[in-house]
Amino acid sequence: MSETAATRARVLFVDDEPRVLTTMRILFRSRYELFFADGGGSALELLKTQPVDVIVSDQRMPGMSGIELLRAARELNPQAMRILLTGYSDLNAIIGSINEGEIFRFVNKPWSNEDLTATIARAVSAARVTQAAARPDSTPEAGGGPTPGVLVLDDDPQVPPKIQAILGGDFRVFGARTMDDAVGHLEREPIGVVISDTRVQDNPVVALIGTLKQHRPELVSVILTERADAGSAIDLINQGQIYRFITKPIHDSQCKIAVNSALKQHQRLAQSPDLAQRYQVERAPEPAPGAVAGQALLERVKTLRSWVRRWV
Amino acid sequence: MKLRWLWPAALAAVALGVLVFLVRMTQSVDADRHRARLELLRRADNLDIALNRAFTQTRASSLTDAAADRSKITAELGATLDALDKGEHSLRGLSPELDRRLDAFLDTIDSKFELGFDFEARSTLLTQRAINTIDAVPARIAEAVAALPPGAPEALRTLLSQLQSQITNYGVTPTPTNAPEIRATLDELDKLSAAQPAPLRDAVRELRTLGEQALDDKGELVSMFRDFLSRPTGAQLQAVEQAYLGWYEGQLAEVNRYRLILAAYTALLLLILAWLGLRLRRSYRELDRANAELSHANEHLEEQVETRTHDLSQALDELRASQAQLVQSEKMASLGQMVAGVAHEINTPLGYARSNAEIVRGSLADLRQLCGAQNRALDLLTDERAREDEVAQAMATAQALRESIDAEALAGDLDGLLADTDHGLLQIAELVASLKDFSRVDRSRHDLFNVNDGLDSALKIAHNQLKGRIEVIRQYGALPAIECSPSQLNQVFLNLITNAAQAIAGAGHESGRIYLHTQAEGESIAIRILDTGAGMSEDVRARIFEPFFTTKPVGQGTGLGLSIVFRIIEDHGGRIEVRSTPGKGSAFTIRLPLRQPRASAAPLEADALVA
Repeated sequence: MSETAATRARVLFVDDEPRVLTTMRILFRSRYELFFADGGGSALELLKTQPVDVIVSDQRMPGMSGIELLRAARELNPQAMRILLTGYSDLNAIIGSINEGEIFRFVNKPWSNEDLTATIARAVSAARVTQAAARPDSTPEAGGGPTPGVLVLDDDPQVPPKIQAILGGDFRVFGARTMDDAVGHLEREPIGVVISDTRVQDNPVVALIGTLKQHRPELVSVILTERADAGSAIDLINQGQIYRFITKPIHDSQCKIAVNSALKQHQRLAQSPDLAQRYQVERAPEPAPGAVAGQALLERVKTLRSWVRRWV
Repeated sequence: MKLRWLWPAALAAVALGVLVFLVRMTQSVDADRHRARLELLRRADNLDIALNRAFTQTRASSLTDAAADRSKITAELGATLDALDKGEHSLRGLSPELDRRLDAFLDTIDSKFELGFDFEARSTLLTQRAINTIDAVPARIAEAVAALPPGAPEALRTLLSQLQSQITNYGVTPTPTNAPEIRATLDELDKLSAAQPAPLRDAVRELRTLGEQALDDKGELVSMFRDFLSRPTGAQLQAVEQAYLGWYEGQLAEVNRYRLILAAYTALLLLILAWLGLRLRRSYRELDRANAELSHANEHLEEQVETRTHDLSQALDELRASQAQLVQSEKMASLGQMVAGVAHEINTPLGYARSNAEIVRGSLADLRQLCGAQNRALDLLTDERAREDEVAQAMATAQALRESIDAEALAGDLDGLLADTDHGLLQIAELVASLKDFSRVDRSRHDLFNVNDGLDSALKIAHNQLKGRIEVIRQYGALPAIECSPSQLNQVFLNLITNAAQAIAGAGHESGRIYLHTQAEGESIAIRILDTGAGMSEDVRARIFEPFFTTKPVGQGTGLGLSIVFRIIEDHGGRIEVRSTPGKGSAFTIRLPLRQPRASAAPLEADALVA
């Protein structure tokens, strides 16, 4: 571990525009050991022989899209942190990057050097800390204690019972229609997975999800929505590290698979807190001055941690 | 349809045929012929009887006209018999029994005729002789009486007169009794005259000779006559008539049988006709009802038509609205796709240009620091008042900075970054320019436009989909500017180029080619867009310009793209054709006229829908 830390981190940039690669070389050559590829195919060739810590890829490339590359890279090189750097992506691409690529960040072109440098630095440190623990497919040990519950936050009161029906009797499903309700459940019950719409009562949930992730990193979020848009999805990745993104109408099997893997992820994170660094989030932008109630709620969330420690 | 009529027609023909057959069978007994035959038979009978009577009369009179009478009757009888034997009313061939009896009758009557002829021949002679003999008898008797001696028995005289009267009677009407009576008288005379003188005996002997001869002649005539009359012609003719009547009865019985069958058959036909009539009536009733309904419907038709027309026009309005909506959503979808491509195309150079600028700014700070340190060292070196240690420190700082910052290398890097930035900004500028060209927002709709430029700006917009895997080969001819709506044509070109790129991707090829070929053709220009993509089947090719026809997966295309292309080209008075070979590629050929007809407002309408 110490030997690895001593060597320079290895970062792979993939873009079909060579000038982007030139810029990256000049920007990061002093910090990391750099690798470059002009497309998905050559990137995968390289990954077969050279494991890296961070992959930064464009989305729109001839031959293979960034998501396809990151999904394949996740198989080849699971501990590498995955970042998409792209000029434009439609919603399907973003959802794919969440569910299939399990990406760390989604960075838009044009980027700010400062932000990009910080993001890559965070990715590098997360990769370093968690190198040993990062086995996404390793099954967590069967933890003692109660099975963690599932919290469903949705305007539609039909959704929690439907999810209870899909998951079966082994799971405890708690329904909430407001964020206050949700935090109340989180204060009282051992919750492992939060299933939420993108907006509840016309307020975006990204701040709540992000604050939860900061203060209870072992909590895993799944977004279930019919009002998906690209911008909020990107925010939910970067600020909330959402684990899965599924769209309504609910497909039973898709929903069940997503919640099951989210619960496993939760158990993994609960057992090895270091791993949670891989899912650290950006600090959310300061809330608008008017949203005092929201601020108070987030303060309540920040106090959850101590309570959580009692049962973890 | 024909067979449906054939069956009933055949059935009717058969039924009619059976009916005709039956009727004919009931008509097989001809009453006239029957009457004629009976008449013939009766006439034959009458003639036979008349013939017999004529012969009977011959005995009484020896008149010559009796013979003529007989021959006339014989001729008539012969003709009647001929008519019975053959001819229209003959009885021949009706039944074997009748034939046999007829033959027997004819044989008998033939023999009777022969007998008649013999009789004719002999009777004259015999009759004459008998008459002469009988006429000679009174003279002989008178001689005998004269020769009577006196004293001769009175009985002798009586016998002689008795003989005279007997022979005279015999001559008139011979009867079966009077011939033996004459013989007995002659014998008596012989007996009595034996004792008498010779002259008497001679006279008696002569009398005997005369009487015997008269008896012989007359006897022969009578026997022939009897023979003639005894021929059983009457009975045989009756037998013939009976046989004929028997046959006739049989015929009548058969006819009656057929009549019965005919009656039954007719009844059956009547039943069938009645059934058909009932059916017909029912059909007519249904027809009437349908007619009534029809007329009822007719009465309400106008009203219904009005309602329907109203409904239809409403549906048409809704259809137009939804079509416009679909066209709009297709536009938005392709706009979204275009924006995605263009955004990426702009954001990438914008990204590295911005990043490079930041790097340059950071490096400039370093360079300014180095510059500052070096200037300070230089200033101190040239300042006479400067102290030694100050100069040394400044020199050391400048030296350290120079070592940490490789100014030469940095300048090289910065040159490169600035060149990249330049390139990126130029790319953005070009893209923005082609966007402007593409949309042509600053041009009027009936502009003179060079299609080659349109193809180029469409290529720029589509660059993101083409780069790296598709080689575009441009073979532009010198084109006159044409009158058109440039933004619409650009939309056509972008659509076709995008389709071509997708066809190459769809063929699973790593790379492919798109050929863009233009040339002037007199009063029109031709644009060909060829690709080496997947091509399409004949079925697909025939339908590609239909609205909502798409081969793309659900959600990836509305199927309106090519229908809009078709519409735009048509509105420009042009034509679009497509040839394709599955697995080889497709070729779209567009022909556009140089000038738009003045009166036509079609392109403007299309603008309202598409632009």
